[in-house]
This record gives sequence, structure tokens and C-alpha cells, in this order.
Amino acid sequence: MFHRIFRANPATVRAVLHFLRERFDGCAESEVISKVELALAEVLNNICEHGIRHEAERLQGQPHIPLIHLCVARHVGGIACAVTDDGRPLPPSCLEAHGLPTISAPADALDAILLLPEGGFGWFLIQELTASLSYFREGRRNFLGFIVPVAEPPRQPVASNEG
Amino acid sequence: MTMQLKSLPHPDGLIIRVDERRLDAAIATAFKDRIRGMIATGGIQIILDLGGVDFMDSSGLGAIIAIYKAMPSGKKLTLTGMTPNVERVFRLTRMDKVLPIQEWAETPASSNKRAAE
Repeated sequence: MFHRIFRANPATVRAVLHFLRERFDGCAESEVISKVELALAEVLNNICEHGIRHEAERLQGQPHIPLIHLCVARHVGGIACAVTDDGRPLPPSCLEAHGLPTISAPADALDAILLLPEGGFGWFLIQELTASLSYFREGRRNFLGFIVPVAEPPRQPVASNEG
Repeated sequence: MTMQLKSLPHPDGLIIRVDERRLDAAIATAFKDRIRGMIATGGIQIILDLGGVDFMDSSGLGAIIAIYKAMPSGKKLTLTGMTPNVERVFRLTRMDKVLPIQEWAETPASSNKRAAE
């Protein structure tokens, strides 16, 4: 079990994830812990990047850096994570099924690399890595919960024929 | 914060060894700028060795894609030394199908051969 309260900025996110890894080392396969770390990194980075809101004029319109509460617990079936923050509301579209950002050229096109997206992978990764992703907004806080299963979830058949 | 990047000579260019353990949102922009600077003054063939990186998030991935997109014409960038956590991000996002990635066992000479074909 792990609980931390911290301001949303990339340096504190880094420190918290480092501590998380130390705390959970040995609790599950290192691959599972790595998936938790990656999913949380994406969630927390999003709060750092998009969660900042501006206070009312009477409060001098100061930017409000979200305060994050993170709770992670090992359960039988997986590692459960709860993230709450008092930043801007999460847009509902983030939780809709996410595909990969469009790759607009066939991979063998000479200039395919020039057309690659540089972002938009975050929610795709979160959805790939987690199960039971849920969200609600209460008062001024976002609540996001998910599980990273300990056993591999059954894989969807993949259309590609690579070995 | 000084970034742990090591520049090693290579017959056709440069090997850039990334010794930052985390390629994440905290350093992605600085990383991109530093690597672009090193590529500008390096040779034709640039190898980005990620062997020292044991965590990468989508910000790190975005930085690497941006580096690729900004490659000066005539220069070639190859990634190598992916650890399992880095490899997972490339695989899940399918970027391993698009970007030139070289296994450890391959030598720079074999990529020259490929370039000559």
C-alpha cells in the first residue's frame, strides 16, 4: 500500500514514481510494476500538463497547480490505483476507447516518419495497460481509478501476421 | 540538471549513449534539444543507444519521434539497446514498425550494408 499527496509537476511525479517502484519491488512481477509505473506516469503527466486552472480574479487569477492524492494498493488480482486531483475536469473524451493517433502514411513510405504524430499516445497507453478504468468528478476534484492486472489479460487476436 | 549523455566516435558518425535512467516528462524537452544539437555536429550515421534507460513514458517517445522528424537530410538515425520497459512503449504504440531500430547483435557495419542495398 502506498499513499502520497503532492503538487502536480514533472519533478515531483518523477520522485513519487521512483518511491512507488521501491515500495512495490517484490510485491508482483517487475513487468506488472513497470506497467503500473507507466500508466501512472501517463495519468500524472496529464494532470501536470492539462490540470492547471486559474483562480478567480479576486484571488489575483493565480495559476492553481493541482494537488494530487495518489493511493496504490496490491490486491489479489492486480495492483489498484486511485488518483484524485483538484485541477480542471477531465474531458469525457479521454475515457472513450482510444485508438492510436493516426499514422497518415504506409510504414514503407520514404517520408512516413515525417508524418508521425509526436503526441496523443498517453490515453491509448493508459487504456492498453489497465483494466476497470473509471472516473467521476465530485466538487472540485477528479477521481480516476484503475487496476493493472497481475495475470496477463486475455489478448485480443491481432490482425497482423507477424511471428 | 546536467543530462547524462555520452558521445562516442563511430567510423561513419556518432554513437550517443543515453545514461539517463528515466526518459520522462521531466526531461523530454531538454533531451530533444540536446540530442538535436549533437546530431547537428555529428557525422552521417547517428546511433542513439538507449541501453541506460530503464523507464520511458509517452513524453520520452514523443521526444524521440520529434528528433526523427527533425533529422537533417542525408543523415540517418538508428535506435539501439532498448531495455524491456522502453521496448514496451515502442511496441504498444506500434512505433517499432516505423522507426529504424537495431538489435544489439547487429553491428554498425550491417546497417551500412542495408543502406547500400
